[in-house]
Amino acid sequence: MNAMDDVEEKTGRDLDVDVIDVEEVTLVRPTATRGELVASDGRPLPTKLSDHERNSLYLRYLVLPFVFLTVTLLGGLRIDSLDGAFIFNRPALVCLIFAAILLVLFARSGVMKLDGWFAESFPPLKNVANGFVILTLFAAATQIFNSLLPELGLPFWIVAFCFFWTLWNNLFADFDVRKLFRSLGGLFGLAFVAKYLVLANLTAPAGRTWFEALTENPGQEAITRLLDLPRYSGSTGYIQFFAVALFLLGLYLVPPSTRDN
Amino acid sequence: MKEKYIQILVIAMTLVYGVFVIFLYAAEPRSLEEISSKVVETVQNAATKGQVITGTYEIDQAKFNEGLMAFRQNNFIVARDSFAKADPERRDARTQFYISYSFYRQGWGRVTNDDALFKQALESLERVNFIDKNFRSDDQDLQLRTPAELKNELEEGLRVTADDFNPLKVFRERK
Repeated sequence: MNAMDDVEEKTGRDLDVDVIDVEEVTLVRPTATRGELVASDGRPLPTKLSDHERNSLYLRYLVLPFVFLTVTLLGGLRIDSLDGAFIFNRPALVCLIFAAILLVLFARSGVMKLDGWFAESFPPLKNVANGFVILTLFAAATQIFNSLLPELGLPFWIVAFCFFWTLWNNLFADFDVRKLFRSLGGLFGLAFVAKYLVLANLTAPAGRTWFEALTENPGQEAITRLLDLPRYSGSTGYIQFFAVALFLLGLYLVPPSTRDN
Repeated sequence: MKEKYIQILVIAMTLVYGVFVIFLYAAEPRSLEEISSKVVETVQNAATKGQVITGTYEIDQAKFNEGLMAFRQNNFIVARDSFAKADPERRDARTQFYISYSFYRQGWGRVTNDDALFKQALESLERVNFIDKNFRSDDQDLQLRTPAELKNELEEGLRVTADDFNPLKVFRERK
């Protein structure tokens, strides 16, 4: 029994159909035109970026490097208290070491996933661009430590030791992003207060004669000389506050991965 | 904008901004006004270094002539300043020889020589030998035309001998 007999039996009518052309419905997929990217099954991939993707690209590749390079510029800038001249303070070697440890901490805690920033599956240009972003982050971290560490003498070694102790402990601690940011915020905040509030207030003003220094405020003068405190203008603290805030903002904006969803 | 253009932009921006930051920390301008003059100075230095690398380095002939004129007028400080500006990379044997000679003439004394200037002359002379071992000056006004002759004169001047106490020494002439 063929298909027509079956239908006649069910309906009770003679069907006067000579030929029935039965065709299977096939799913027609859009085909790629020349120059379009195609997926493994031949479908063209979307080449235009959505607004969300574009914004995240601008943030990752334009805003972040700009923020971190600005921090790099400002982190070592001091203002002379005598004539208001710029002083560009180059970072000590220990700042580079601290910055390297900080990047390791970022990788460990998941602030930045290494395989989300560098991968063989990425185009070379993307890997290079990501490398540049990380480089700016490293430079900014170096300059933040340069900003927060006292320049000379005993205060430098005390604060540097505290930084080292905290970072070293963090390296072996069980971490997540929130805990790391809390720890860094506390560390940077305390160091900022120590340098730009406590030590800055203990520093005697510049441009006084020996006699004036000894008669007006001998304690301040003695502490300044004993601790090798540099005499910077008050505006240095404002600039460094801005630099630290900008760095923390930049860290907040760093995506854990640059892989496309 | 396509992703790859944004990525190219980040590389370019990082390089430009990064170079600017490095420049600031290297040049250390003390005010905003000083930045432009430091930029000009850095660009000139970079251009000169580029000339040295590419083998097209030449001294500033006008500055050299100014120095030579001052040298002949016995204005040795001005002469050395002009010679130094004419040959900032210190790669021209003739200019360096004149610098050395100017130290010799300035330090020469009828009774005593200035040892500090003579020592500086010897240092400059070492550079001449380093640049061109066979250097010979064609200046007819100079009595000591080779680095060897000038070096001998300088070393004689620095050495203390019995001859130094000869009163007739005051009649000798500067070379």
